[in-house]
Amino acid sequence: MDNMAPSKKAGFQKERERFGYAMVSPSMVFLIAVTTLPLVSLLAMSFFRIDLTSPMDNGWAGVENYTEIIKDHRFWHSMRLTAVYTTVTVVLQVMIGLALAMAFFRGFRGQGAMRVSVLLPMILAPVVVGLSWRTLILTPEYGILDYLSILMGFGSKPWLVHPSWALVSVILIHTWQWTPFAFLVFLASLNAMPLEPLEAALLDTRNSWQRFRFVILPMIRPAVYIVIIIRTMVALRAFAAIFSATGGGPGTATEILNLYAYRVSFNSLNLGYGAALGTLLLLLTVGISMVFFRMRKAN
Amino acid sequence: MAEVILRNVCKLFGKVPVVRDFSLNIADGEFLVLVGPSGCGKSTTLRLVAGLESLSSGEIYIGDRLVNDIHPRDRDIAMVFQNYALYPQMTVYDNMAFSLKMRKVPKREIDQAIRRTSELLRIDQLLDRKPGQLSGGQRQRVALGRSIIRNPHVFLFDEPLSNLDAKLRIAMRAELLELHQRLMTTAIYVTHDQLEAMTMGDRIVVMNEGVIQQVDHPETVYDHPVNLFVAGFIGSPSMNFLDCRILQNGDSLCAATDGLRLKIPAGKQARVQSYVGRDAVLGIRPEHIGLASDPARCDCLAGFTAVVRVVESAGSEKIVHARVEDHSLVARLDPHTRLKTGETVEFAVRMETVHIFDKVTGQTLM
Repeated sequence: MDNMAPSKKAGFQKERERFGYAMVSPSMVFLIAVTTLPLVSLLAMSFFRIDLTSPMDNGWAGVENYTEIIKDHRFWHSMRLTAVYTTVTVVLQVMIGLALAMAFFRGFRGQGAMRVSVLLPMILAPVVVGLSWRTLILTPEYGILDYLSILMGFGSKPWLVHPSWALVSVILIHTWQWTPFAFLVFLASLNAMPLEPLEAALLDTRNSWQRFRFVILPMIRPAVYIVIIIRTMVALRAFAAIFSATGGGPGTATEILNLYAYRVSFNSLNLGYGAALGTLLLLLTVGISMVFFRMRKAN
Repeated sequence: MAEVILRNVCKLFGKVPVVRDFSLNIADGEFLVLVGPSGCGKSTTLRLVAGLESLSSGEIYIGDRLVNDIHPRDRDIAMVFQNYALYPQMTVYDNMAFSLKMRKVPKREIDQAIRRTSELLRIDQLLDRKPGQLSGGQRQRVALGRSIIRNPHVFLFDEPLSNLDAKLRIAMRAELLELHQRLMTTAIYVTHDQLEAMTMGDRIVVMNEGVIQQVDHPETVYDHPVNLFVAGFIGSPSMNFLDCRILQNGDSLCAATDGLRLKIPAGKQARVQSYVGRDAVLGIRPEHIGLASDPARCDCLAGFTAVVRVVESAGSEKIVHARVEDHSLVARLDPHTRLKTGETVEFAVRMETVHIFDKVTGQTLM
């Protein structure tokens, strides 16, 4: 026995390993084809001038695309929008999701049906959400929200045609669609809490707010971090709902970085510049999530 | 400090009654133990006192205050839970300080109270740790400390020792009692462990299916159980039960069953006289069965022959399982008794200590 080196694998183990690789290889090939290759080609394209409107100038550009971006006002505008859009939607989702989860956690009559209706928006495709908000909900006078606004005496609002209102609208749409996700995670997390500390808190605290603030919230803190991380990553690269509701407009009022990259690539057909914008968005998303993950670990 | 009064307390979960017509006065400073099998309603009763469950009907008083509609936090009680219920994100210090902080007690006072209590419970070395870094026994001490520090009128304990290992449980049992003697705060203690109930309670309440079976001092409950349930539940190994028939035998009575004919002592005959010719249940505690050869005899022995089936040596005693016809009997014997499996032995029962129960109602006849 002792002349056998521990690192040496027995024949049957090697065979099992080979079998394992053979089994996962088709999906690995598929994954590489649809994720890694586009990513690599995006990165490569960002170093070329690929402008389909003047193809004779195309060729190696080095970091020219990136230096141009730094001087590009429209880029900085889109960055500001991205920051506002992401921060506001994530904060709203966490707050509303948590409030809803607390309401459902305490339980009330008919909560089964309510739960389904709360979760419904998440099931819809973002394009459908964008379109239906644009038509059913925000249409002047006939859209539900505008109608309610008139009924309540606020009057009809230029939901999608005024720059500031359009930003409010796309934030509303995103929050409406994705708060259910936060709700679901928070509710699961609340239900997974051990019951006894909550009962102990019933005796220890002076009111419900204290119980929530000092006992419940610290216990579900990991879930809050997870929701913030996931929702930030998604909000940073939001696209379909904004695209179908405003198309980034009016003008550039709702043109977050992702939409800017799309418009440069496929409206202006400047693929190289668009690829550089896309690469920046990728770096931004990865960077911010890494910071969040660090913060979560530190806690 | 306060007395606790429960008056006709009922609790239904849906349509299922879990506590039925529970009435009891718990004296100021008393250590009362609620004991019974799982699902007997003992924990629910405790939670009703705490206010964690709402009453279906009845009244609960703490001190002279009716607390039916008073929020748990205003009842002046402290509860120790089975799983300790410490706040996982807080240090031991913060766990103990929490309720006082919420009540806006000055920081210096809180600090003094924590120093005092943690020394009393010997957890002063652990104040900076979080519950996750503590052992079961330490957590239990912290949970105790957290409830003591509030100086409540009533302590409620919900099986606080059942998650500890056997040795620690016995040690903590003694510590809890010592603590109670020091603080003399009214305590209601729930356990399913009859030994814990026997050793800890000033009085014990035996419950079954939501109904109080017997309330009395531990020795009384042990020596004079009111019915079959209490007799079987209290005591380990539990009481031997034999279906028998009361027969007239000349001028004396005996309890007879296949292979056994045990004479009822003269002093007790009057109580079962009316049962002659009827079925009953004979109850014999294991320690009241001895060897017929044992010199420590008394006048009222009834003998029988049985085959030894299993002998358990427990160090301080020997538990012998024997068989007479179809009946299985357990006897607690002197540790030095030498018996072999399969051996046929003459046993003797001290008849003045046996119990006879009505077979239908389960009530004690003698």
